[in-house]
Amino acid sequence: MVLHSDTIVALSTPPGRSGIGVIRVSGAGSLGILRLLVASDSFDPQPNLLTLRNLFDPQSGETIDEALVCYFKAPHSFTGEDLVELHCHGSPVLLREVIDIVLQAGARMAEPGEFSLRAVAHGRLKLAEAEAIRDLIHAQTDAALRQANRQLKGEISNALQPAKDELLKIIVRLESSLEFVEDDLPSVESQTISGELKRVRTLLAELAGTFRQGKLLREGLKVAFVGRPNVGKSSLFNRLLGHSRAIVTEIPGTTRDTITEAIGLDGVPVVLIDTAGLRAAADEIESIGVARTRRAAADADLLIVVIDGSEPLKEEDRSVLAEVADTKFIVTVNKIDLPTFSLTDFDSVASEVSSPIIPVSAKTEAGLESLRAAILQPFANGAHHGESLLITNARHHDLLLRAVDAIDSSADLLGKGTSEELILVGLHNALRYLDEITGETTTEEILGQIFSTFCIGK
Amino acid sequence: MIFDEFFDVVVIGAGHAGCEAASAAARLGANTALLTLNLDLIGQMSCNPAIGGIGKGHLVREIDALGGIMGRVIDRTGIQFRLLNRSRGPAVQAPRAQADRALYRVEMRRTLEATPNLNLRQGLVTNLIVNGGSVHGVELQDGRRIRATSIVIATGTFLNGRIHTGRQTYAGGRAGEPAAVEFAEALKRLGFRVGRLKTGTPPRLDGRTVDWDAFEPQPPDEQPVPFSFATDGIEQRQLNCHLAYTTERLHAAIRENLHESPLYSGQIKGVGPRYCPSIEDKVVKFPDKTRHQLFIEPEGYATNEVYLNGFSTSLPAQLQQELVSMIPGFESTQVIRPGYAIEYDFVDPRELSPSLETAKLKGLFLAGQINGTTGYEEAACQGLLAGINAALTASGRPTFRLDRRESYIGVLVDDLITNGVDEPYRMFTSRSEYRLALRHDNADDRLEPKGRDLGLVGDSDWERFNQKRARLAKVRTALKENRLRRADEGYATCRELTGQDLGESLTLADLALRPNINAALIKGFLPADLRAEMHTGDLETALADHLYAGYLDTQTAAIRRLNQHDGLHIPTAFAFKEVGSLSHEIVERLERARPQSFGQARKIPGMTPAALSNLLVHLTAAQRVARPVHS
Repeated sequence: MVLHSDTIVALSTPPGRSGIGVIRVSGAGSLGILRLLVASDSFDPQPNLLTLRNLFDPQSGETIDEALVCYFKAPHSFTGEDLVELHCHGSPVLLREVIDIVLQAGARMAEPGEFSLRAVAHGRLKLAEAEAIRDLIHAQTDAALRQANRQLKGEISNALQPAKDELLKIIVRLESSLEFVEDDLPSVESQTISGELKRVRTLLAELAGTFRQGKLLREGLKVAFVGRPNVGKSSLFNRLLGHSRAIVTEIPGTTRDTITEAIGLDGVPVVLIDTAGLRAAADEIESIGVARTRRAAADADLLIVVIDGSEPLKEEDRSVLAEVADTKFIVTVNKIDLPTFSLTDFDSVASEVSSPIIPVSAKTEAGLESLRAAILQPFANGAHHGESLLITNARHHDLLLRAVDAIDSSADLLGKGTSEELILVGLHNALRYLDEITGETTTEEILGQIFSTFCIGK
Repeated sequence: MIFDEFFDVVVIGAGHAGCEAASAAARLGANTALLTLNLDLIGQMSCNPAIGGIGKGHLVREIDALGGIMGRVIDRTGIQFRLLNRSRGPAVQAPRAQADRALYRVEMRRTLEATPNLNLRQGLVTNLIVNGGSVHGVELQDGRRIRATSIVIATGTFLNGRIHTGRQTYAGGRAGEPAAVEFAEALKRLGFRVGRLKTGTPPRLDGRTVDWDAFEPQPPDEQPVPFSFATDGIEQRQLNCHLAYTTERLHAAIRENLHESPLYSGQIKGVGPRYCPSIEDKVVKFPDKTRHQLFIEPEGYATNEVYLNGFSTSLPAQLQQELVSMIPGFESTQVIRPGYAIEYDFVDPRELSPSLETAKLKGLFLAGQINGTTGYEEAACQGLLAGINAALTASGRPTFRLDRRESYIGVLVDDLITNGVDEPYRMFTSRSEYRLALRHDNADDRLEPKGRDLGLVGDSDWERFNQKRARLAKVRTALKENRLRRADEGYATCRELTGQDLGESLTLADLALRPNINAALIKGFLPADLRAEMHTGDLETALADHLYAGYLDTQTAAIRRLNQHDGLHIPTAFAFKEVGSLSHEIVERLERARPQSFGQARKIPGMTPAALSNLLVHLTAAQRVARPVHS
């Protein structure tokens, strides 16, 4: 019997927006993680039964979703281990948050096919069934292989190579001083090593930091237009889209439902969302539309608050601005083509909000370039053109963070003057984590470096 | 076929592998013959007169724990003992000793002659007698035929050995000794994949002609640490080594004469070890180094001969004399044996099982340099393993293997049979991913019970081992139960030494982890009766266990991520091409390496994560089917 002690997590439904997103957690730590999420140590769910619970962010204590949760007790689960399913609302942002919490609670991202593998290992799947899902795994791993190849050729390995090289150089020096104590080697300066470790750490941490940006690039940047009715959200939406998708009339509240369209802005996939205007709803249909606007706004990566600049700032505008205050947003002041347009009202707004204020005209397209640029601001470093690498894979992100932690532990020991073999534990671990991304560094490679760096041999 | 003699086990070669193999096989009850070209050269150290060092010393301790003989022999014949890396953690410390080369031979032969069931025979093996897929015996040059159920080949550099000094080259197994040329041909005929490796040795000097005042002495340890767990103390007189340095003038002379070196003229095809380069290589590959360190090592009590360690060379003999004279202090020094390079055949070790038995011939075991390793210690541990398994196989018992998680011997065998070799393989502690757990001082704890189960550890050794275990348990308890309190004498000293706040009180185990606290200091805080009962090294071992405990968990966790499925067995007949999505290239690599476990497959160069995960699913599934589930 193959034993697994660690707990794995993965999104079981396809990535992207959907009605429901199912997150699966398998392993001995599953129930503990579920208890953490529902913020109750005594939560003792009846196995195999769906229960409606609020999920909380354990750090802030905030409710993040209302989800159907289900606990399958080992060995009566798909994998044969303790398994928890979280049926959340299908927002990628939300699902990402929940997975992040599960990872922080000690789980790791599952490898492709790992749930099935555990199922086979625990005898929960017969060979025929395994053969059937093997095809599925093939698809996943072939994709993984393609991705690995692509990354090995360029992106990830290029980006990781300097850090790996530097790390290997440090390992080589410490190993040499241990193994070839009788040889006439230059002494290892802990100050030098400490500085080099800091550089490696920075490189890895920076790469890990691109993860969120990378996810946006892969899954598309969701941009929602919000504002009170009749300020020109749908007109702007149509302008950016390049055709009249949304119906535009003079009647306030024409847009009753959210409309979603994907475009490419300078190579970046952007999902534009037009929404119903926010106001005290006049009828039931409108009130449903408003509720949908709020949900779309919550899911969006970026909000564009549209305000009519031909009219004085209204209370409804202010309440929209107040509502979005905690999110990432841009303020657009529309209708600069009208004679009554004035920005004077916005001086007070400008001092209150940190976001840029962009005057535009949906009618003449004036200011539209500035708006596009503002939407693409997160990618302003040219990242989407491949000039710098973004981490898009959650497993890579997880491994990079682990490597950073391992290096930190070594740096700490180095500072305390600990013996090399202990400092090396963290460094080898860090290299192992990086190896899981780029492929294994063999002992032979380390020894090869040693012998080409130092003249060794009695 | 008519045989002159009949044995259960025949061991070919009486070097460091052969001696261990014959000793182990005989002590396991097998009627054993040890064949050698020259009975006077049993246990000969062909190269430097020293045993141990980082990694290698670990191996000797493991050999000793399993019931091997190398540790005991060097303990009785070592003339300079040093524990290396004393300033570092216990996991990377290891004993090393200079040997009296002649005494070592004598003591080894005495040990073998005192072993029941062990028969020494002089003769040159020219052929293997094979019956079906199994070995049947050997043929000697003088016409004798010897019947054997199991055979261990431990031929060292003798297998098709070729010696080079300058442009002179001739067949030889060691300077002045013949090579086993016919036997090498026989192995090739049997279909073994054979490659060529190279090693070298430095010139030996007349000690009377050395200006000793010109060199810095390197003294022995005041408290010698023995190799064998059975040795209580080192009795013999200890000698100094000396340090010497090459000069730029010498480097220039070597550069001018490179065309004379068979290494640089293309005459030598075999691959030499990078960690034991010739002086030519050192000068060429590290041109910025203005001097290279050399060691002048005594060869023994009764001889003036000294060994110039670090000056391995295959330059012409006359030139060696000139070069040596360029070193300050060696101006009038006479070279009495020139250094030389030697090329020899080795058999691709990927054809071996973990018991060191060949896949091609049942009952045939290979040990030592024939498997591509270098070093006496590396050879000896393989000899021990091969000898054990030759005896077990001859009597129809299941074979014995060692895991890489529990021993450096396991690491060595696993590396050899999984990766093969590109250059002579030497042990380094960094070859083990479990370095912190594989200490020289806990080799007995790791392996002695296995040696006892096999029948290689005698009653008195076993009793000593159990007493040590009992003492260590007491020490561990005492470290956890005894506290240093603020009011205690010594508290202030410790606070000052550590520069840390030690609180109201702390256990001695915790105190030991603080900076600048050594075992001697801790010992002072232990109860007097326990102090009296403890043996040398007990406290250090208990403290080392405590020191590494936390790190072992982190290390284990990271390794487990990588190799949690390594133990998964791959059936011999497993068809890799049936694992649908593996590329042609990957299947070819797997077929060539024929890994016996998932762990071995994982280490094959060029395996992709995707290929491995496919293989894993297939293996796990196949395993479920092979084992019917009773429910």
